[in-house]
Amino acid sequence: MSVVFRLEAPYRGEYALHRLTFGGSGPAAVAMVAGLHGNEVNGIQALNLVAGMLRVMRPKRPVHILPCVNSIGADEARKRWPFDDRDINAAFPGDPDGAPVERIAAAVMDATNAELCIDVHSGATTVREHPHARVPLSGPELEHARAMMLPVVWRRRGDRYEGGLVGAWRGAGREALQVRGGRGLALDMDDATTLARGLVRLLAHLGLISHQDTGSASHDTDHVQDYRSMAGGFFVPEVQTGERVVVGKLLGLVRNPLGGEPIEEIRAQKAGMVLAVRVYPMVHAQELVVRIAEDAT
Amino acid sequence: MSERLEEICSIELPTGEAVGVHRRRFTGGLGPHVAIVAGIRGDTPEGTRVAHAVARHLSTQHDRLTGTVDVYPCVNPLAAHHGARHWPGFDLDLNRRFPGRADGHAPDRVARTLLDATRGADMVIELRGAHPAFREETQAHVRHDQPVALERALRANVRVVWRRSAELQGSGTLAAELPGLICLEGGVGNRLTDGVGLELCDGVLNLLVVAGVLPEDALPFHWAAIQRPLVATDEDVVRVRATRGGLFLPSGRMWGEVEVGTPLGEVVDPIAGETREMITAPVAGRVLAMREQPVVYPGSLVARLVAT
Repeated sequence: MSVVFRLEAPYRGEYALHRLTFGGSGPAAVAMVAGLHGNEVNGIQALNLVAGMLRVMRPKRPVHILPCVNSIGADEARKRWPFDDRDINAAFPGDPDGAPVERIAAAVMDATNAELCIDVHSGATTVREHPHARVPLSGPELEHARAMMLPVVWRRRGDRYEGGLVGAWRGAGREALQVRGGRGLALDMDDATTLARGLVRLLAHLGLISHQDTGSASHDTDHVQDYRSMAGGFFVPEVQTGERVVVGKLLGLVRNPLGGEPIEEIRAQKAGMVLAVRVYPMVHAQELVVRIAEDAT
Repeated sequence: MSERLEEICSIELPTGEAVGVHRRRFTGGLGPHVAIVAGIRGDTPEGTRVAHAVARHLSTQHDRLTGTVDVYPCVNPLAAHHGARHWPGFDLDLNRRFPGRADGHAPDRVARTLLDATRGADMVIELRGAHPAFREETQAHVRHDQPVALERALRANVRVVWRRSAELQGSGTLAAELPGLICLEGGVGNRLTDGVGLELCDGVLNLLVVAGVLPEDALPFHWAAIQRPLVATDEDVVRVRATRGGLFLPSGRMWGEVEVGTPLGEVVDPIAGETREMITAPVAGRVLAMREQPVVYPGSLVARLVAT
């Protein structure tokens, strides 16, 4: 493990950006990043599981792992950089002479200089997400995502990645993708393990390690539907992430938080797999309560 | 003249309560329409104070108005309720949600409603406060390619008119959607600052005269008292950053003249107290903003100068 960047931190010594590198010499093949958001601990856990495997399976080419970029945010269970409440993932490509988050972002860019960069996130603190990869509609990232065999591959238009680490690397002409699972502020062990297994499968697919891990093909779709509450209230889910649903399936009920009377039934309009479920029940009107990765038609 | 308090949007809360977003509409004729918007972020009470000060004056000018003035004293009331920058619960910056969505969640709906309500106005003035870590001189921001907005902003009773590039205004802001918008700010973030509220209030009232909705003799001061600002481009506004972490102890004076090398402050070790860095002016000019929250990292902004 090496410290690739330091920043003087008043009162607490210094901020250090740690990087673990596994494997042989030459240009790095893959860089994996977690903890750009300090409270998204499933990514940290996933990359630490991957690191544990790479310690015994020496990759043929260097693989960089940055398990926790926003370590001060992680210390304080905060998504953003605590000092000025700025989002490190909104500061890419960064500036080595800029504000603290811009310096960190620039250092992360330097430290993830590899043929492929993978950014690992959790859902928001109020929403649990089923492990999935977010990739463009076509191209090498899509093939990488399929090789991971995560439960869902969400193909998205390219213009949905305007910013962030992934956007910065794509803008520089490199391959980059994002994987997500679980929720912020909570360790969802199954989701973190699923993410880690997918990442290891990808390393094997790229020929960097020898590893056999069977899995089933992902639910591969470019049709993802958000279900939102029409009114504010107390959302009680009737489904879990990863569950398959059919048309008409009850996804959840919005109730009056003061008395429990039903306000709204939310039902699936199309068949598919539950990609995300709201876990914090107090909802405002038009907030996301369930997200379905729909079946291909 | 008529004066009405109107709810432009209601924010329904999960518990069933509702919070309204309001405007105070002053109508005195078929002349120009001016919108004055404050409190897009919840940590800008100075803007709300100025909005109400302007409204109070308009209330005394019955039959003098020749158009419509809409005053939005606080469009992010839930954040203002506890002095937070972002919309609570959603943790969203409302000034990154424009143009918003009519069918979206509450922050997006408020953004859309506000934009729809102000888009057709002949003049839109946004009142902001300073960033919470800073003290700012009074200033107007206009887009560099908007000569009419610049001409008007010169009469906004501020020290500086900053002609900003569209990129620096940021995407998702109200200013990005309304290119002719004039943004006024000054004072200390999340605080009321002596003198600043009055300066900005006078500036807004003078802009109402410029817009043609208020006659000059309805001003509570003589027009000659309006300050003549410096005009600065992005290149003229120089950011001074700390190169060491620690406590920044300022020594510069707001709006004070500085030469190259004039001390602006020092960064000291927060425990041992030793000086880690002396920070000096890199250009000759005036101090536009000075850091008041003393904890700094390497790269933290400590001052902003206007080169002269």
